[in-house]
Amino acid sequence: MDDYANPLLHRLKWAYLLLVVLTLMSPVFYVMYISFNQNGFGANEYVFTLEWYGLIFSDKLLMGALGWTMALSVTTTLIAVPMALLAAKYYKAAQNKLLPVFLMLAPLFVAPDILGSALLVFFKNLNGTMVTLGDALGTGLFDGWFDLGFATSLVGLIIYTIPYSFVVILITMGRYRSEQTEAARACGANGWRAFWDIEFPQIRAGIFSAAAFTVILCFNEYTRTSLLKGGFDTFTTVLVSQMLNTGMSEQSYAMSSFVSFIAIAVIGGIIVYTLVRAEILSKEARAKSAPVMST
Amino acid sequence: MTRTKPAAVEVRGLAKHYGSVVALKDVDLTIAAGEYFVLLGPSGGGKTTLLRTIGGFHRATHGEVLLHGREVGHLPPDKRPTSMVFQSYALFPHMTVMQNVGYGLKIAGLDKASRRDKSAAALDMVGLQGFADRKPHELSGGQQQRVQLARAMVLDRDILLLDEPLAALDAQLRKDMCLELKHLQEKVGITFIHVTHNQEEAMTVADRIALIADGDLIEVGPAREVYRAPDKRFTASFVGENNLLTGKVTAVSGSEVTVDVAGEAIKVDRRGLDVTTGQEVSMSVRSELVRMSLGDTDDARPGHALMGTYNEAVYLGLTTSHLISVAPGCEVTSRVVDDLDDLPAHGAPVRVYWAPGDLRLHTS
Repeated sequence: MDDYANPLLHRLKWAYLLLVVLTLMSPVFYVMYISFNQNGFGANEYVFTLEWYGLIFSDKLLMGALGWTMALSVTTTLIAVPMALLAAKYYKAAQNKLLPVFLMLAPLFVAPDILGSALLVFFKNLNGTMVTLGDALGTGLFDGWFDLGFATSLVGLIIYTIPYSFVVILITMGRYRSEQTEAARACGANGWRAFWDIEFPQIRAGIFSAAAFTVILCFNEYTRTSLLKGGFDTFTTVLVSQMLNTGMSEQSYAMSSFVSFIAIAVIGGIIVYTLVRAEILSKEARAKSAPVMST
Repeated sequence: MTRTKPAAVEVRGLAKHYGSVVALKDVDLTIAAGEYFVLLGPSGGGKTTLLRTIGGFHRATHGEVLLHGREVGHLPPDKRPTSMVFQSYALFPHMTVMQNVGYGLKIAGLDKASRRDKSAAALDMVGLQGFADRKPHELSGGQQQRVQLARAMVLDRDILLLDEPLAALDAQLRKDMCLELKHLQEKVGITFIHVTHNQEEAMTVADRIALIADGDLIEVGPAREVYRAPDKRFTASFVGENNLLTGKVTAVSGSEVTVDVAGEAIKVDRRGLDVTTGQEVSMSVRSELVRMSLGDTDDARPGHALMGTYNEAVYLGLTTSHLISVAPGCEVTSRVVDDLDDLPAHGAPVRVYWAPGDLRLHTS
């Protein structure tokens, strides 16, 4: 707040911001609230319990779906984040920045159901082509390469998450000055050492944030995954299926809340850590800079 | 002079193009080992491009870079026997001063104790003992630049590239650092190649200066020669405070050329240049060599003086510059140390003159 700002208006702005956040988060809080109710959703009487959280691990459908989701999210993160990092590095070095940024963000502008359907058709045609190729060569070696399953879901998730990772990493890289890489090269470091010793420590927060974000996005994604997953279920597809058919089980409420807790804890932790660290560094700088001579 | 020493850097027919933009045009240059060499010129002239190409940060479009006689055009910066000081400090912010200085030694595989000893000695050399545990953001601009120097010098490479190392410093600190750089170079005896657009900085440190503008190497010479006897018109316009006169050659007689300037016949030494009658030429004379007289004076010899009208005086502290119009759009500056009490009135007729030999002829 500057010296001439109206204090009342300032408080109103903050109140408005808080209201927006609460409105956005209230459904999540409601699900968390239900997850602790012994009597489940819609019951007249609220009895606090942790029982549903205990039963999460006995729900084989949910645990199986969670396992697939974890496998997909970890694999997606391991592939998408390095790819996004490479793209961000290329973007920083590129003379013409418009084309790479457009190419990287293009998947964001395509509706998920359209992209998912397009990938579905693409993989089916590709599968057909491979089978025809195998038939022509008299071998079944190429059959089923692109059957719907883990790999096709993975491609869908990578396409979905790369733009977000790219943006998050790029924001962090914005503060990095490429002269430092040149200085490292002038000190004798090769390209990899210059990246690992000098650039990576300075953009590490962005890379870890992108990784956390990618995992959360994988848990969040439904449309592309449901179209491309083939025979297994993910956490989101199970939840949506339950909602549409039988209604969510108590364990599902507990699992949803559990995942939300983790997501909020991870992202909140990153934000708090970043703010606290920035404040500590700033305090240290102020404390140490005082006795420094001017030349 | 160091030019009799073997060449540390040779640049042959070096050109650098960025698409249709030509940053360097077929530059040929030789820099002797142990020389303090300055690349001087206006911003955007190509001097940093040349330095960075020598350092391996740019790949030449064509031409060769030889370091100690070895062609290095294909080598990246980390494989060249050069180190570099950058304009924007370029210290590693997540490392302490000691770690910054010792980074190159770590890459070279030195053990921790050797790194610490060598880094401490380098910091001592640049006067930063006691700052080893600080982070770069806790240092002033001058201190950060010294850390860069220490980081570059500790590697014991014999060619140091300095890309406008003092540009971000305030005027007083720049002067101090100039002298420190010069003394440091004399002490360690390695080749320094220093890019700057500041002629005072260049004059302070340089054994030799190369003038670079529009991608061309305009002129190379010892600092004093470049200042006192510029060969090219551009050099005269960029270095020092020269008066530039243009006119048409009316006569060429032996070593003397007569040029018509504002209706007056001015005589100038031919300097062996190829000059013909009717040719448009330029002449330069340093402002401190121009004298001004209100009346007739025996010192003003025919052919070495111009009549004009007094415009104004600009007081610069140590010196005062008198501005005299000698023709429409042509002003001559006479710079004197004396602070005149009685200045001529604006528009008063005055004569400006110089000693024969002070005026230099330029055909390019």
